[in-house]
Amino acid sequence: MRAEQKTASLMAGPYAAFLLVFAVYPIAFALVLVFLQWDLVTAPTFAGADNIRLLVHDGRFWRAVVNTFVFLSIHVPLQIVTALALALTLNRQLVGRSFWRAAFFLPVVISGAVVAILWSQLYATDVGLINRLLLKIGVSPVPWLTDPRTAMPAIAVMVTWKNVGFYVIIYLAGLQYIPRSCQEAIEIEGASAWQRFRYLTLPSLLPQTILVVTLSTINGFQLFIEPYVMTGGGPLRRTYSVVLYLYNNAFAYQKMGYAATIGVALALIIGIVVLAQRRLIGKAEAL
Amino acid sequence: MKQLRRIVLYAGLSIAAITFIYPFLWMASSTFKPPVEVGSLALIPHDFTLDNYRTMWARAPFGRALVNSTFVATTITLAVLVFGSMTAYAMARLNFRGRPALNAATIAVLMVPGQLTLIPLYTLIVQLGWVDTYAALIVPYLFNATAILMLRQFFLQIPQSLIDSARMDGMSEPRILFTIFWPLSKPVLSIVAIFTFMGAWNEVLWPLLVVREQNLMTLPQLLTVFALGGGAGSVGVSLASAMVLVVPVVVAYAFLQRNFIESMAGSGIKG
Amino acid sequence: MPSVTFEHVTKRFGDATVIEDFDLQVADGELLVLVGGSGSGKSTILRMLAGLETVTSGRIRIDDRDVTDLAPRDRDVAMVFQDYGLYPHMTVRDNLSLGLRLRKIPRHEIERRVTWAASMLGLEPLLDRKPKALSGGQRQRVAMGRAMVREPKVFLFDEPLSNLDAGLRAQMRIEIGSLQDRLKTTTVYVTHDQVEAMTLGDRIVVLADGRIQQIGRPIELYRTPVNRFVAGFIGTPAMNFIEGTLVADGGRMFFSAEAARLKMRAGTAESSEPITLGIRPEDLRMDFIPQQPTHGSADFDTLTGRVVLVERLGGTSHVHFQVGPHRLMASVASDSLPEVGHDITAHVPAARVHLFGGDGRAIGRTAEIV
Repeated sequence: MRAEQKTASLMAGPYAAFLLVFAVYPIAFALVLVFLQWDLVTAPTFAGADNIRLLVHDGRFWRAVVNTFVFLSIHVPLQIVTALALALTLNRQLVGRSFWRAAFFLPVVISGAVVAILWSQLYATDVGLINRLLLKIGVSPVPWLTDPRTAMPAIAVMVTWKNVGFYVIIYLAGLQYIPRSCQEAIEIEGASAWQRFRYLTLPSLLPQTILVVTLSTINGFQLFIEPYVMTGGGPLRRTYSVVLYLYNNAFAYQKMGYAATIGVALALIIGIVVLAQRRLIGKAEAL
Repeated sequence: MKQLRRIVLYAGLSIAAITFIYPFLWMASSTFKPPVEVGSLALIPHDFTLDNYRTMWARAPFGRALVNSTFVATTITLAVLVFGSMTAYAMARLNFRGRPALNAATIAVLMVPGQLTLIPLYTLIVQLGWVDTYAALIVPYLFNATAILMLRQFFLQIPQSLIDSARMDGMSEPRILFTIFWPLSKPVLSIVAIFTFMGAWNEVLWPLLVVREQNLMTLPQLLTVFALGGGAGSVGVSLASAMVLVVPVVVAYAFLQRNFIESMAGSGIKG
Repeated sequence: MPSVTFEHVTKRFGDATVIEDFDLQVADGELLVLVGGSGSGKSTILRMLAGLETVTSGRIRIDDRDVTDLAPRDRDVAMVFQDYGLYPHMTVRDNLSLGLRLRKIPRHEIERRVTWAASMLGLEPLLDRKPKALSGGQRQRVAMGRAMVREPKVFLFDEPLSNLDAGLRAQMRIEIGSLQDRLKTTTVYVTHDQVEAMTLGDRIVVLADGRIQQIGRPIELYRTPVNRFVAGFIGTPAMNFIEGTLVADGGRMFFSAEAARLKMRAGTAESSEPITLGIRPEDLRMDFIPQQPTHGSADFDTLTGRVVLVERLGGTSHVHFQVGPHRLMASVASDSLPEVGHDITAHVPAARVHLFGGDGRAIGRTAEIV
């Protein structure tokens, strides 16, 4: 219908234009920027493969990538275990279930900047809450954020704490989909609590686990405000994240071409990692 | 035996809940403590003081930042609801050339990590001369692909006979959207509203890139700059500034807890 | 003057032609039923008339006004939908009046029409309820009321009864019929249910594959179906069919099939092509003669078979029996019924037999139509 066509283009046209300007153009221009040198003041110059060459040999970039993997290796498993444990607990008959759920979800709604500022205090070596608690049980203060060995794990624990409520909800939703008949069947077969978990609950939650792995991985690659506020990337660059490096290149060093190159590389790494994870989980499932 | 297991269960839950709530309570109480007391684990200030808030208010334009954040987040939320549902309506219920392409593009956009487009978007804002303007904070967020897909999904389930009836009754398409579809879409609209508002309210990386003028900064940005730049001077002051950002959210969360949880979890699953 | 006219209307969705070269005239005040199976195009025709679907080619007129390119609101038609299409968040009163308010009808006039429709349909006590609080039949009435208050030139019904249970459906069918009798508004009614079509329609249009099979008064469709499709579609229980050939013997025509030989009416034309014989279950007269091993009487107006199933429906029963390879069914009074496994004789009155040629068209009876 011509009238329908016209109405539709009035209603959807602005969005199409928006997509062109704020999605399609930036994606295309990111690929152009990879080959440019540009400080936003003078005119951009063609740089050939300079940015790519620089990136390949850039120790700081690769340090940040390694840091991210360190972060993920702690964050992802910890996130799955904590979220699953809390979800299974909340899935029982509980008094005040929505209160517990709300409590665990609280950090999710709080700004990451606030959480980072708060946890800087909790992690503080001399006056931090955590060390004071440890002191009470006889553990000497740990320099959480200033020791290169503990800084990134400390941040990973904090991010896990902030997001766990979100993943609990995902697992709780998944638990609703396990048919009652399956649960009854496995109980009649005389399975122990652990066997029920191992052979029914865990496999049934595979889609949710894949989601948790994917989302927490993508989230990990976006790590920015935590190191920015808490450590500035230190100590010894051990908490430098890729996005922090990208931000500094753009904002502090005015190197748009190089910052965009980092962005493209990061997107590629995310794509490869997420696909690899899916493959791995798919293989594990087939076993 | 069963009794004991229940006691262990609830004790465990309580400890877990304390781990999630206590830090915020401690933060709130610390803002009313003088510097010497901040290190204490106690939640009741020994020497109650409002100095931290006075200092914070005097040293940086937090009032202004509160207005900025509210304005930016509200504008974005309204835009996402109004423009998003218009787009979603067309994509769900009208036939037009380019609809499949638009659908595909929307899904494709969601698969591209934000880090890829961050710098080109920033250079675009610079070239448009939008650095240090509200436009830079608002315009790139006027449409949200996740919101459009969620609304579209919901709109697809509304019976065709309602549209037909409304057309026979003589309504225009926008009128059908806003007087028939909207009242029926309250659940999804509230989900979209909450996650959009929260996203805009808590966003910090983008403002850090495009705003340098203190008077235009949003709360999380000013808070970060203030805490990092040493402007706070003490833990109490920096936590007090964080409270400005947290309190409105926690109050809203207390009232709309269920909606918040559904909304933010929903957006993550769909997005 | 016809109230609604379709002229060479064709509708295509992409490459698929749903309606081809459709011509139809609906008389003023007539209730016309479009009946057909799913995919027959009946709803598409109605929606094109409503303006909810575009027309690929051809014209549609309402009272000589070409409405082909008009929006639904400008056509002066009102429609009742299968799932009613009531606005769930509005009261019955608002549902009834919205279309009038949008047309800027004066308030007192809206009030008058709503009161009139509500009293006619017995909706007065329900005016302040929302659709969710109504039963299926009440919702159906509201949907009709919404169409009535518009006082349109044409009413359109799109399978309005198919969401109701059987009892309510029969009751609403009667209500719709008597309502239309009183209002005398031209009505186009779409249904897949041939009983609805037979009981409601002044005229019926039988559709299949986007083409008109036959147009006529209900009794015409029943008595003289023009093709095998209409013969099988109209009438319950459905007509029996036997495949065979016509053979001439001693100056008479006989229908011949395996285990069956029947004398045809005088004047039945000779034909070399395969023939389908149709006979309605209620036209078969049954002789319940056990243990009589006949294979057709000398008059050749009977079929002999063995009872395989008896369905007792109360006053009448359906007797299914096997004649050679043919499975037939007779509708008979229940007072005396054969038993399963027994042989019976069915009389086939030559005057009630329908014959269809290889292309499905009725043959030999065209002269008798009407």
